[in-house]
Amino acid sequence: MQKKDIGLGILIIVVGAIVYMHNPLFLSPINLGNTANLIGLFGLFAIGQGFVIMTGGIDLSVGSVIALLGVLFVDMVGKFGVPWPLAVAIIIGLGVLIGLAHGILITRFRLQPFVVTLCGLLIYRGIARGYTAESTAGFPFGSSYPQLEWLTIGRSFGVPHSFLAMLIVAAVMWVVLHHTVFGRHLCAVGKNEEAARFSGINTRFVTVMAYVICAVLASIAAIYFAMFTKSVQPSSHGNFYELYAIAAAVLGGCSLRGGEGSVIGIVLGAVLLQELQNLVNLLGIPSSLNFAVMGAVILLGVLADQQFAAYRTRKSTERALGLLQKP
Amino acid sequence: MNVLELKNISKRYGAIQALDNVSLAIAPGEVVGLMGDNGAGKSTLVKVIAGNFAPTSGDILISEQKVEFHKPLDAQKAGIEVVYQDLAICNNLSAASNVFLGREPTRKIGPIKVVDYAFMRSKSAELFARLKSETRPRDLVHKMSGGQRQAVAIARTLLSDAKIVLMDEPTAAISVRQVAEVLNLIRQLSDHGIAVVLISHRMPDVFEVADKVVVLRRGELVADKKASQSSPEEITGLITGAIEHA
Repeated sequence: MQKKDIGLGILIIVVGAIVYMHNPLFLSPINLGNTANLIGLFGLFAIGQGFVIMTGGIDLSVGSVIALLGVLFVDMVGKFGVPWPLAVAIIIGLGVLIGLAHGILITRFRLQPFVVTLCGLLIYRGIARGYTAESTAGFPFGSSYPQLEWLTIGRSFGVPHSFLAMLIVAAVMWVVLHHTVFGRHLCAVGKNEEAARFSGINTRFVTVMAYVICAVLASIAAIYFAMFTKSVQPSSHGNFYELYAIAAAVLGGCSLRGGEGSVIGIVLGAVLLQELQNLVNLLGIPSSLNFAVMGAVILLGVLADQQFAAYRTRKSTERALGLLQKP
Repeated sequence: MNVLELKNISKRYGAIQALDNVSLAIAPGEVVGLMGDNGAGKSTLVKVIAGNFAPTSGDILISEQKVEFHKPLDAQKAGIEVVYQDLAICNNLSAASNVFLGREPTRKIGPIKVVDYAFMRSKSAELFARLKSETRPRDLVHKMSGGQRQAVAIARTLLSDAKIVLMDEPTAAISVRQVAEVLNLIRQLSDHGIAVVLISHRMPDVFEVADKVVVLRRGELVADKKASQSSPEEITGLITGAIEHA
């Protein structure tokens, strides 16, 4: 656990305490359960976004991927009667293809990640709207899929399964990032691609894999979101979600310059974002202000972090100087 | 026995003769200062030795065996390591992670292979100790001095059991005290029987560590003599052309 993660954890507890003091409902099981569900949903794809950011890239297409794959999933299961395990496999397969496409365009054709995924954002959203002719995709009336529902929107002991899924994904990705050779290479490629290449690392493969991981986690999130909302409105479903993911990753200590980040940090970032949403609701702040609150808190957090880091460096320099001057 | 021998190496780029019949022999543990003005062919020579490209004509012998390098990896396998000027180091990783970058040791926990951090730390601590460097394996490289970074880059070459280390301007961008540290590292390599080719513009550095000074001028080898039998003035003359041959 890094220092930044601990700081973020403290911030979450402080904000939580303040909200609780104003409105004790904050800690009610219902509220906690609902918030945990949202943390799970948003955390799933924020982790993927974090991996891309660690390579020094960015994936702006996440929200549109969630809309497009959500529409396809609902239609496959609801309209065409595809067995849901097969539909899940197809959706994840599509996620792999989307990630590969992004990664190959970025590494082989040397396009900038921002441009590639911005085009992705427009294309996938456009296809989703065109395919459905702007109509909402939904499950037929009265249909039910007990196992699928248990896996996605079910709860055990009050804990939503989306949250558990996110924890499992986070645990796996934590091992991948911090304890596998791939994770080491990811950090190296993000910071100094040339050095990584000189060291014999297949930098293209590492970068492509980061985009694949991001798109696959987005596709899993797409299924969870589709099951959560039960119907997918192609023009608004998943709007701005890529920005939530980027915000969570940046709050969690990922540097947009690449090479830095931690999975625990990203998860905590997702927790803080949902806590802020919750704060807006519980404190009776008009929900139209919710973006403004989130933006202000992120800005203050990043600013405070930077000031604190500068303060620490100053202190340690002073200490070192003090030691030198002592005879 | 020579660890590296070049026989009549020539390299042409179209009409330009970058290297003209260069012959050179390096013994194990020998430190060779490779000098020459910009465009004299130093980089070309290093790239030929490092396997970046093949010479137009001539032979390369490693430990008396004729070799042909088609790619840098071939040279690496033959025991030739290059320490690049910009160091090819990742600032965000620890010293140990950098030493093992691209060759991370793993151990198995059940079915998954995880990076063996403990081994990385102990092995790189051992390498730093061999180099008599105070670099600590856990430290992040971006907090290190230029000399310590060089130690990290050089420890990488020890890890692969190199026979020859090519160093491209290792003292170009660092402070005076750190230069001394780097020169020490070079001596340590030499003490371990590793030959070092030091490419440098800094005359004092070369004369401080080199056993032998080699001068290239317009692709021709114009001097190959013991550092103790030469002087900075003579070498300057050879580089500029004021002295024809030594």
